[in-house]
Amino acid sequence: MSVDVVVNEDDLAEMVEQVWVSYLDPEGVSPLVPTGDEAQTTEVHSSVSITGSWTGHVVYASSTAAARRAAAAFLAMEDGEVSQDDLSDVLGELANIVGGNVKAMLPPGCFLSLPQVVLAPEATTIYPSAERITGLYGTWDGEPVSVSMWQSRSDLKKEEDTE
Amino acid sequence: MKILIADDSRVMRQIVTRTLRQAGFGDHDLVEAADGQQALDLATAEKPDLVISDWNMPEMTGVEVLRKLRAAGNGVKFGFVTSESTPEMQQQAEAAGAAFFIVKPFTAERFDEVFSPILG
Repeated sequence: MSVDVVVNEDDLAEMVEQVWVSYLDPEGVSPLVPTGDEAQTTEVHSSVSITGSWTGHVVYASSTAAARRAAAAFLAMEDGEVSQDDLSDVLGELANIVGGNVKAMLPPGCFLSLPQVVLAPEATTIYPSAERITGLYGTWDGEPVSVSMWQSRSDLKKEEDTE
Repeated sequence: MKILIADDSRVMRQIVTRTLRQAGFGDHDLVEAADGQQALDLATAEKPDLVISDWNMPEMTGVEVLRKLRAAGNGVKFGFVTSESTPEMQQQAEAAGAAFFIVKPFTAERFDEVFSPILG
């Protein structure tokens, strides 16, 4: 069955804004500022896989400083108090929240995996059978943050075949 | 009142706890469960007045916990806080007897709206 991509950069931006308003910037003073810079360097990342009517990955990536700040905001502590476990747990939760919201926009019949967290740059994870279809790239207080979607090539091939 | 918070994410349990406090429900007794089986066990043993549960958890999903509680005649007020929200999940939740369905990310205002009628 062919499935059009129903999630685009604007949708990702809306989901990310909700996360910022709810947890990371409730006062509305330091939003994520989109830059569109796909080449920005990140230091840590987390992802969830989606399988079913749409197959692929949703990846959250940022600098370590942005991840530490996110963890501090989530856990109501100071940046300096954040442990590596805190950082990992919050990165996983960020991928889970964005992935869950992405799943809600996809056709019925999708399964969301538990999150995977990698404390290394996004470029160290390679999705051999998927390609990036959309992404939101920006900075948060000057630190790089991105959310990207990678779709299975076999999914994309099915779409081409039915066009 | 006693509230059971079931979520396999430690971070999310903390956020639910903090949001309850921000919404003015910080005086209630809180109990935490880190997976579905623990949620079922504690919902039975601790006799909470309210269960706030994640959907996707190890051992047993939140809706399975709810179904087992209802099958055992336990009518505790039970609802979901989850990042996944599809119409079929909401239908399943409602059919199983859920009292609410909160989507992550959520705000203290949303908690207030949902829990005020329940917690007073």
